[in-house]
Order: sequence, then C-alpha cells, then structure tokens
Amino acid sequence: MTDQPTQMSPVKLGLAVAWPAFWTGMPIKIVLCLLLLAMGQHPWEFPGLAFLLLLSIPVDIWAVGLSGRTVLLERLGVEPPASLGLTLWWQGAALAATYGSLACFLERQTIAGSQAVVARILDLELLKVIPIAERISIELTAWGSVAAVVLLALTLGGLFLFGKLVQRQADAASPAAASYEARVHQWDLMRVPADQPLMLTVFTATGVALVLLLWAFMPVTTPHPHESYKEEKKAAPPLKPTDALQKAERVLTQAEASVQTLEAKAKKSKGKASEKKAAAKQKKA
Amino acid sequence: MSSQPNLLEKVIAFVDERVGLKTLQAKMLNEPVPGGSRWAYIFGSVLLFIFIMQAVTGILLMFYYVPSADHAYASTQYIIHEVDYGWFLLSYHFWGSSAMVIMVFAHMSQVFLWGAYKSPREMIWLVGLALFGIVMGFGFTGYLLPWDQRAYWATTVGVEIMDKTPIVGDFMARFLKGGATPGQMTLSRFFVIHVMILPAALMGLAGLHIFLFRKAGPAGPFRGTPEELKAKTDYFFPRQIWKDMVAMGAVFATICSLAFIEPVVLLEEATPDPGEYHPEPEWYFLFLFQLLRLKIFSGEFGQFLGAIAIPGVFMALLAALPFIDRSPERNIFKRPVALIGWIVVMATILIFTVSAIINREFLD
Repeated sequence: MTDQPTQMSPVKLGLAVAWPAFWTGMPIKIVLCLLLLAMGQHPWEFPGLAFLLLLSIPVDIWAVGLSGRTVLLERLGVEPPASLGLTLWWQGAALAATYGSLACFLERQTIAGSQAVVARILDLELLKVIPIAERISIELTAWGSVAAVVLLALTLGGLFLFGKLVQRQADAASPAAASYEARVHQWDLMRVPADQPLMLTVFTATGVALVLLLWAFMPVTTPHPHESYKEEKKAAPPLKPTDALQKAERVLTQAEASVQTLEAKAKKSKGKASEKKAAAKQKKA
Repeated sequence: MSSQPNLLEKVIAFVDERVGLKTLQAKMLNEPVPGGSRWAYIFGSVLLFIFIMQAVTGILLMFYYVPSADHAYASTQYIIHEVDYGWFLLSYHFWGSSAMVIMVFAHMSQVFLWGAYKSPREMIWLVGLALFGIVMGFGFTGYLLPWDQRAYWATTVGVEIMDKTPIVGDFMARFLKGGATPGQMTLSRFFVIHVMILPAALMGLAGLHIFLFRKAGPAGPFRGTPEELKAKTDYFFPRQIWKDMVAMGAVFATICSLAFIEPVVLLEEATPDPGEYHPEPEWYFLFLFQLLRLKIFSGEFGQFLGAIAIPGVFMALLAALPFIDRSPERNIFKRPVALIGWIVVMATILIFTVSAIINREFLD
C-alpha cells in the first residue's frame, strides 16, 4: 500500500469486500444456528430457516458495511458514505436473488450434463474393463473438473457484478486523507470503539448469556437413543410414608389373623386327633 | 482520593514480586506482529484451544469410561444414555478430533503457502510436522475406545496397513494388537497411548513449537514493502488476540452445532465377525483407504507401495522442504511449483475421499 490509492479491478474489489464480509458475519450466524439447534429447531428447515434468515439481515448489513468501509478508505482512498452497509446489502441481495439463482441453475445443469456424458463414455465396451474403484475416481475427476471450472467462472462473474456495485459507491465518494499513515489511523479509529471497557463488558455479558441459554436449552439425555439400548432402570413409584405404614399395618393385621386362624385350626385338629386316640383305646380295651 | 493500593493491587504486586507476572505478561502480549494482525494467523491459537477442550472433555469422559473389552462398549453407552449431558460431551470430543485434523491441515497449508517454513523457521516446521503425526495418532487410537464394530474394524484395517512397514511394521502391529485379534490388550494399549503418551508428547512438542516461534518471530505477510509493513505493525494484544478469540468462539460453536446435528451413535458391540458392516477408517484416512483399492496397489508389493512407501516419501519430502527450497521468495504467486503442488495434493485428497464415500454407497 502506498500514499496513492490503488486502482482495483471489479473482480478484486468484489472479492475484497465480499470475502471478509462473509467471515465477519459467519461467527454470529454460527452462534444463532447453535441456539436454534439446542432448541430443537433445524436451521435449514422452516421455521428455523426463516428465523435465521431474518436475524442474518442486520448481521449482513453490519458485516458488508464494515468490510466495505475498510476497502474504500484503505485501498481506494475515499471517504466511505454513511449508508454504505445498507446500500451494498440490498443491492447485493438483489444480485444474489437474480444472478445467484441463475448461477445455481447453470451449475446444476452442468453437473447433471457432465455426469451423463462421463457415464456414457465410461459405458463404452472398450472402457468397461476399468475396475470399479478406478471408475469412481475417473468419473468424479472428469465431471468434477467441468463443474469446478463452471463454478469458478460463475463465481468470478458474481464477484465482477458485486465489484461494479462497490465501484459505483466509490466513484460517488469524496477523496480521503492523502497520506497512507493518516488513512490507517482513520481506519483504526473507525474500527476500534471509543469506549473499550464498555465494549468488553457487553461482549462478556453476551457470551455469558449465550452460554446460559445453550445449557438451558440443551437436552440432558441423548436426542438419538440407540435402538438396542435397553433401559434397565424401571421407573420406581414415588414413596408415600403414611401409605407405606398403613400398608404394612394392613399386612401385619392380615398376617396376625392368618396366624390365629391357623392356630385355631391346629387346636381343632389336635382335639379331634386326641378324641380318635381315646376312642381307639376304648375299642382295644 | 487515596493513592494507597487496594487489596487486589497488593495481591498482584505480591505475586509479581515473586513470579515476575508483569514481565511474563509483557512477553506474552507485546509480541510485534509485522504488517498487523490477520485472520490468517488464527490457526495456531485455535489448535491450542481445540486441544485444551479435547483434554477437558476427555478427562470428563474418563470419569465414566471403563477401558476393558468387557465394559468399554457398555460404559460408552452409559455415557450416551444415562450420564447428564454425557451424549453432548462425547459428541463434542468426537467432532473436536475432526476439527483438530482440519485445523492442522489449514495451519500447515497457510505456513506452506505463505512460505513461512523458510529460513530461519525450519525447526518450527519440523516440530509442526511431528505435531501433525501426533494429531493423527490421537485420531487413530481414540477411534477404538468405544469398542463398537466401527471402532474394531477401523483399527483392524489400520493395524494391517501398519504391518506392511518394512523392518518395524511387524513389531509395531504385534505390539499394538497384543494378540492375534484385537482384544483387551489392544484396548489397554490404545487407551494408554491416547490418554498418557500422546497428550504428554503433544504438550512438550507444542511448547517447543511456540518457543521456537517466539524465538524466530512471526514471518509476516509475503507482500508489501518494509515501509508498509512497519506502518501496519501491531502488537499481539489486543487485535490479534481479539481475532483469535472470535475464531475460537466460532470453532466452539461449530463443534457444538455438529454435536447436535450428528451426535455419536454407536454401532453394535465389537465382534471378530464384521457381518453386514464394511470396515473403513475415520474420514481423514479415507483417501488412503480408497487409494489402496486401486488395482495398481493390489498385491503385497502394491499395498506396501500405496500404504507405506508413497505416504512415507511424501512426509520425508515435507520434512526436507525447508532445506530443498532455499529461495527467499515467499510470495506464493511467484512460486508456481509450490502452488501447483499444493493444489494437486489437496485435489487428490478431496477426490479420493469423495470416491471412498461413493464407493461406500456402492458397497451398501
């Protein structure tokens, strides 16, 4: 970097803003995904997806604004406009909706077409002798190379168009401080907040709150139990002391009654036996 | 206003007088970073963070895990199904190991592409290669511990590959297995290597790696004039530390998300009969496994060539790299052989890993 602002091609300019913006927003989006997952919501299914996309809007505006301001000031030597983040975001979103959809369609068609062509070539009688492991790798390399080249071209096209959008913002902006050191200083002041202890407190509090939320939402036991895993512990009924005592008393009363009945029966049978013995003695006599 | 120090300041002064806390703090945080802080420098710190988290989750898992062939599977199932948050700890540990391998690849790639292995940083590169071997060793030994079919057969395949190493292969395979088939001795030995030997080796070598790095200093970016680098030079604290912390948070959240999306679910308990199961190693060894399926690597000599000779030569080349490449040029766009070589290696690993996954579907 020199004192003179750099002239950048639209592709380089697009990459210089889009790449850091992607990574700047990514950590926040991952944390949002994690919270959704802990709550049992999949971030790629409705309503989790809608929630994630909605929360991603302010994150993306902030991220694209931050990286855009950095590039405009540091690399292009112009004062970034105040609404740079919002402008680049909605223009980028419109580009993603039109060009992105077209690019996805073209890439899918390329993959399907190249896979079909490669499979047809490898089905030739001459090539049928190729063993299966080799065939898999050849097929993958062949259609993967075509798909990768098309993907690269489409990505470059997207970056070119996005770079043009950034270029338009830069062309409309006024020149910044002439010396590189002065611009670096201004860039530093722009990125580092004035009240750093406050920022650290807010970040720490947010981190603690997120960790607490994660543990609060997280299931205690596995959400995917093993098919053959048998739960050995049967749920024991809750113990009620008065019921248990009453039950024990009932059992004891029943037992006492049973013993008395048995004793009475024993006495009766003993009495009958002695009567029989006496009768037998009398007969003998 | 009183100028008397408060209790906390007194305690800090007391410790500082005896330990040299402020000197240590200055040494740790005031490292000049040529060209300023960068996201490209996060990988080393993130690796250290992942290792610490692996150690913490590993110790917690050891409170419940029983390293015996009779109880390893049951105790792992117990951790998953009965221990509070046990499923999450185990899944975090599992995905953490994959994150460590990815970060090692990213770190080595960054050092290679930025030419940061060149003089005077050859020793850092060599110790880094040894650390790479240790990380792979962690993955290999840890994979057996749940003692399910996947663990048992991945180890069987791995030990068979090791057996093909000339001279020491037979001894190493016999030592690791401790018998004709994997059993109690295998599990005990893998457990000891996983929880005792490798962590100790990693701590020692990581310490040496950081010491050598601090001695040589950061290489800085490969582009820019000395004036530009000086204008942007910064200290390690606060900007690089901030970037490292954000990256650690993102990696932590990613590992947690993976633990939620794909928690560890064991297969059936290990038996010497694979049944329906098609043995294969962990994903980061899949490319090598698929490579060995090629006809060119069939037969005794072919297997030796694919499993030992080629990876061995590749590792030897990596070790010799700083001594072969003596040019001071660090810009990767002015080192076409290095750039093409890196692309070819990465593409080969990617193609054969994906091929192995396609092959798995074909076998199923």
